[in-house]
Amino acid sequence: VSIRLQLLIVALTTLILPWAGCQYARELENALRVSQENALESTADTIALALSAQPARVFHGPEDSRPYAEEQGDLYVFALHSAPLLDGYREDWGAAADPKRLPSADGYGARLQVGSTDRYLFIYLEVDEPHFVAEPANPDVDKDRFDRVDVTLEQPDGSLESYFFATAAPGLIEAQKTLIQGDGTARVANEPRIQAYWLEAAGGYHLEARVPLALVGGRLWVEAREASGRKAGFAADSAQGGRLFMATSGLGELLATFIRRGTRATVVDANGLKLGTAGALRAAGLEDDTSGTWYRRFVTVDTSSWPVQASLPDRITGKSITAALAGRPAAEWLRSSAGAQDLLLLAAAPIAVDGRTRGAVVLEQSGDQLLDLRDRALAHLFDLTLLATALAVLFAFSLATFISVRIGRLRSAADSAVGNDGRIRLEMPESGSADEIGALARAFERLLARLNEHARYLRTLGGKLSHELRTPLTIVRSSLDNLESEGVRGDQRGYVIRAREGTVRLQSILSALGAASRVEESIQQAERVSFDLAELARAAVAGYRDAFPNARFMLDVPADGCLLFGAPELIAQMLDKLVENAVDFTPPGGAITLKLARAGGRYELSVENDGPSIPDAMLGRLFESLFEHRQGSDDKPHFGLGLYIVRLIAEFHDGNALAVNRPDGNGAAFRVSLPMI
Amino acid sequence: VAWGISRPGARHRPGALGYDPAVKKSIAIVEDEPALRENYAAALARHGYQVKTYANRKVAMQAFTTRLPDLAIIDISLEDEAEGGFDLCRDLRAMSAELPIIFLTARDSELDAVSGLRLGADDFLTKDVSLPHLAARVAALFRRIDALRLPQNATDMVRRGALVMDAGKMQTTWNGKPVTLSLTEFWIVHALALNPGHVKNRQQLMDAANVVLDDSTITSHIKRLRRKFLEIDPAFDAVQTVYGMGYRWVE
Repeated sequence: VSIRLQLLIVALTTLILPWAGCQYARELENALRVSQENALESTADTIALALSAQPARVFHGPEDSRPYAEEQGDLYVFALHSAPLLDGYREDWGAAADPKRLPSADGYGARLQVGSTDRYLFIYLEVDEPHFVAEPANPDVDKDRFDRVDVTLEQPDGSLESYFFATAAPGLIEAQKTLIQGDGTARVANEPRIQAYWLEAAGGYHLEARVPLALVGGRLWVEAREASGRKAGFAADSAQGGRLFMATSGLGELLATFIRRGTRATVVDANGLKLGTAGALRAAGLEDDTSGTWYRRFVTVDTSSWPVQASLPDRITGKSITAALAGRPAAEWLRSSAGAQDLLLLAAAPIAVDGRTRGAVVLEQSGDQLLDLRDRALAHLFDLTLLATALAVLFAFSLATFISVRIGRLRSAADSAVGNDGRIRLEMPESGSADEIGALARAFERLLARLNEHARYLRTLGGKLSHELRTPLTIVRSSLDNLESEGVRGDQRGYVIRAREGTVRLQSILSALGAASRVEESIQQAERVSFDLAELARAAVAGYRDAFPNARFMLDVPADGCLLFGAPELIAQMLDKLVENAVDFTPPGGAITLKLARAGGRYELSVENDGPSIPDAMLGRLFESLFEHRQGSDDKPHFGLGLYIVRLIAEFHDGNALAVNRPDGNGAAFRVSLPMI
Repeated sequence: VAWGISRPGARHRPGALGYDPAVKKSIAIVEDEPALRENYAAALARHGYQVKTYANRKVAMQAFTTRLPDLAIIDISLEDEAEGGFDLCRDLRAMSAELPIIFLTARDSELDAVSGLRLGADDFLTKDVSLPHLAARVAALFRRIDALRLPQNATDMVRRGALVMDAGKMQTTWNGKPVTLSLTEFWIVHALALNPGHVKNRQQLMDAANVVLDDSTITSHIKRLRRKFLEIDPAFDAVQTVYGMGYRWVE
């Protein structure tokens, strides 16, 4: 794993900051939620307390402890803010709910809704009636078959009064009732106080009726009857059903004085039916600001399992309502609808009158306020930590890149510190830096300096040895000279000859050992002239052909002149060494090729020979002093000085020497590259 | 007559007065290595020279102020004086312009050889030289000195155009002007000029000069002797390099 990656991983741990921020935000949200719950709950409690002091303005009519039984015909009366026009249309009612379907034993379709204003009770009925049968003139209610709607009212005095609506033609009509005359016959008479509008609609008719509240007691039955006899609704039954549960007029205005914007207050009775409501929730999405919302998914408390608000037009249900109606204030969080993220806080407090719970105040508040608060707090935190993380990652990455580039430079410098020509480069990059990498570079430099010192010592060792050994050798030789001159006995002569042979060999070894330093010195004193390299190569090859008759020499030089400013004797000496080396390793009959070519401002001079390849490990060391690379063909001591001299001469001409194996594996090539100028 | 070695004041040489060839010639060896010193002394004594040996410059100079030898063989580094031989050579040359001086040293650097010859030494030998070769050199130098007094002998003369070499007297002239060659240089030119046009390789030249030298030293000898001819004749081009083989004399 690279340093870059390691540091990147370390930098990424700063992502813990935004994570911690999220945790913090969640806790913050929970705390805010609890405090909002408490606040709303206490507000609800306060309102409930205030309302319980004036029950007459909250609960109208006598207390009825029986539960609301819709299936028995109990009706909830919506509070209408203004009296609708009698036109058979319900659009001006303002009630949120659709009319409720009336029960029917034979599948007759009718839907009913009841509302009231201060003075009137309004009845709205939709009836599915494919074959309208009009009312005959002077109908006999018991015998005549026609489509009609029966309405029975419990009057304020407790007696029941039945009316029916029917018409010969749609339009504004009046209720009719059957009067029993003195003679016992029945007569149908209009009741002008009860007016209605009969509207013919697609697939049936609508009836919108208006009854003065003065005629209305606590109960009402509505039944739609078809000419064929089918019917829907409830027949009047003095024992049960038909009770009207009416919203309290003026309660909404009263509630409005208690609440603030964004809160909806509702008073429900013991059945949970709405008695009055005021205020509105802030419409979700209206001021939806999109900035900073994208990270909500990371921080939002999971609400998908929360209950959905039970949104009914006539009543409110739920855990907290139940609790409040049981006498305990409560609050709960709801989702405003399934699948939505909009939250709703609902708090309910009981309204106790004379020590008994008669209803509850329900306050609803949007949870968006909370989210806004949280988001505002979080957006900053989030942006800052993300910025910090990004900066940390960027910084760590650049630092890592910087470090790894520097180490890379150091490594490649270390790789190439000992060049192909055996020269040691002493300068390392980064050695000027004060940090650990700089220290490493300096340590490398010291190491290289010592290596160089060592290499130099090895290079000069030969010369020093040769110098030091020369005097004792001379003593031996001159003693032998003297011994021979004095006359040696015949049987001793062999020893003297052998001793002399030994000194001759020692002499040649010493001479070779010291040659390197002598050559270096003479090279430094060489004079430069301008001469033709091609001409020199041609002349030299001619000489080699005479000198080495066993080898085949090939020559490949440009026809025109190759001017070089240098020391021709040295170049010739260099060629001698290369050719001697090549001759040593060329099998009998093998070819030695001397090539000269121009290549990009340089002369490439190469001597190639057939024969064995050079082991790869040795290629770079061939030009070192006293490096013996292969076994020569004769018994002469081989100290590899020849190629060292080649290198010295190439370097004297600002060039370099290189040994390569031929690609085909047959033989080696030694190349010297010399700059033209 | 112009001689290979012609120095001002040659005729006032102290040892020249009453010179008799029959009298043993005296050789001074200044060498700090006792074993070598004795070996050289023994060998030269065997050749009929009167040899005196000195271990350092001080002792040698004391003796030389009393009486000069006929020839001096000097090592460069003498005991604690690394270049004592050079100083001694300079002093000797100041005392006598004609006294033959041979440097015999374990040092073999080009620089030393050049310095020694510049100080007026007649030859510069490394200790690789064998005793018979040393004796031959000594004899050749004495021959050169003796030639100043002996009549011309034409038998050992080599004439190649402008070049005249007298092997007997070790003297060389070019266009009639003397060329002051050291002994090694003389024998190199002699070997080349003897067979004009023939290429002599380095080994052959070393054999001719009775020295063991390495290639680069031969090269520098050639360079130096060319320069000596060029000083006399800027158009000199008789010693040619044959790359890869050696050198030849071209007329």
